[in-house]
Amino acid sequence: MRRSLERILLYAAVATVVGVLFFPMYWMFNTSLAPQDQLYIYPPKLVHPNATFAAYAKIFRERPIERWLLNSLIVVIFSGLSSLIISVLAGYSLSRYRVGGSAALGYLLLSSRMLPTTLLVIPLFVFMSQLRLINTLWSVVIANVTFIMPFATWMLKGYFDSIPRELEEAAYIDGSSRLGALLRITLPLSAPGVAATALYSAILAWDEYLFARTFLTTNSVWTISVGLGSFRGEYITFWNEVMAASLVGTVPIIAIFLLLEKHLVSGLIAGAVK
Amino acid sequence: MTGARGSKDLRHLSAQSASVSIGEQTLRPVLGARTWMRFLRSPVVFAYLLLTPAILTMVVVVLYPVLSAIDISFRRVDIYSPGASRGPWTLANYARLLDTTGFWQAVRVSVAYVVIAVVFSLLIGFGTALLLNQRFRGRTLARMLVVLPWSVPPVVAVNVWWWILDPSFGMLNWVLLQLGVIAKPINWIASPTPALAAVSLVTIWKGYPFFVVMLLAGLQAVPQDLYDAGAVDGAGRLAAFQHITLPALRGVLALATLLTVLWVFREFTIIWVLTGGGPVRATETLAIMTYREAFANFRMGFAASIGVVTLLISTVASVFFIRQAGKEFH
Repeated sequence: MRRSLERILLYAAVATVVGVLFFPMYWMFNTSLAPQDQLYIYPPKLVHPNATFAAYAKIFRERPIERWLLNSLIVVIFSGLSSLIISVLAGYSLSRYRVGGSAALGYLLLSSRMLPTTLLVIPLFVFMSQLRLINTLWSVVIANVTFIMPFATWMLKGYFDSIPRELEEAAYIDGSSRLGALLRITLPLSAPGVAATALYSAILAWDEYLFARTFLTTNSVWTISVGLGSFRGEYITFWNEVMAASLVGTVPIIAIFLLLEKHLVSGLIAGAVK
Repeated sequence: MTGARGSKDLRHLSAQSASVSIGEQTLRPVLGARTWMRFLRSPVVFAYLLLTPAILTMVVVVLYPVLSAIDISFRRVDIYSPGASRGPWTLANYARLLDTTGFWQAVRVSVAYVVIAVVFSLLIGFGTALLLNQRFRGRTLARMLVVLPWSVPPVVAVNVWWWILDPSFGMLNWVLLQLGVIAKPINWIASPTPALAAVSLVTIWKGYPFFVVMLLAGLQAVPQDLYDAGAVDGAGRLAAFQHITLPALRGVLALATLLTVLWVFREFTIIWVLTGGGPVRATETLAIMTYREAFANFRMGFAASIGVVTLLISTVASVFFIRQAGKEFH
């Protein structure tokens, strides 16, 4: 009797906690399907009987959403790939060799997370203007490397640490070069780690707002983050449209998140907290 | 650990290659292609070659920009350009900073925001992790749903909460009115104290999943034997929690808290998009003040001085925190 009461209480507690914490996600979905005339009524409706995709059609018609998504994709690919290449090399070196300055570089990479982004953005803005990169996606690609590369290097170093070095030593005996051993032995073995790091980098780049908002001035070069942040300050707010656009900007990230779930802990420890 | 082993291996290898190259040199004194190849293949050179892109990137896009920012924080510069003459070094920006009420207000807001957001993220995250560590049907799904907000873009989190917090038709006011907690709707974003609460709420919603993930991993690492032994000794659930679970989670808890403090302290997007630092600077943290001075008032030298102070605070706080944590564990 006592046990079954405990079970009931446990399920009730889980349902309450999950219900409250997940509610905003559900609310975004629910409101995005609401017809215009159902937005400004009290009490708010938990389910809309006449659900409609009209808001989705309207935002794609009235705002360059697909352009913003494409821009974000370009930023994700370029800043992610360049960070990843640099980080694989550096992470491997930090994992396998200890040379003068490698500890210093490790600390520098770690401590870059104490650096206020609002401080870094000032000189970067000036340099980007000098290089005439303002209002191009390149400025955001380069700036994103400043925070993606340090975390990716630490995350990859962790994965490389878990691959036994005896395998590389065996390759050396077989006449392999150092680079050959990295590319043909260690890298394929750490493929899951590299993939997880890549997915994390993609989330960080997709979510980035500060650099994009500062460097990209016309709305045709905005990333999705900047576009989604632009609803605030408009005279009338059509909540179904704001929620539809927000959901469109979140779906790619949720897809990545589901792929990533298994590796979440190692990544979070390496410093993907943004 | 691997580091110690690595350096031993390295010494061994470099000693070997050194003796080989001496042998080579006696045979052919001229630096030929083969010596060059051998040089490239030496472990030390290889290690540095791999590090070079990372070092260059850090120097060019992080270190040099930060040093320029520190430099202009000591000069009278409004709109800064690298070529222009900057005038002599001066403490004027810092003097002005300590003199402005806006700065002290921003310090207070930053502290309040960090404390509220981190404490509630920790409490909610801890409670949720303990609950989801129980065995029940659908546990995997529950964990996924609860951790999902971590991955939601900050701008999206703001949009969703902005709607929930809407003064006329938002869900939160409706719930609070029904429960009788408030007598009339609160204008969350337009009044000072509610605005700070609103900004913290969004931050907590984005921040608690990190604690859940870290603490669930920590809880799974606590050996079941300890609980069994505790049960034999007649420890109740509360005693087991206090004497087994909590001590085992200390390290994870300390790390997660430090990382969350650093994240919240530097947070920009949530506040900027939701309130812009207003109303009447009620949500203007040091990060927001830095940005506003640089890109709305175009006083970059002054803005840089705020940023440098922010950097100093987070560095000192982390060093202090790591020292304290270190003392406790050893």
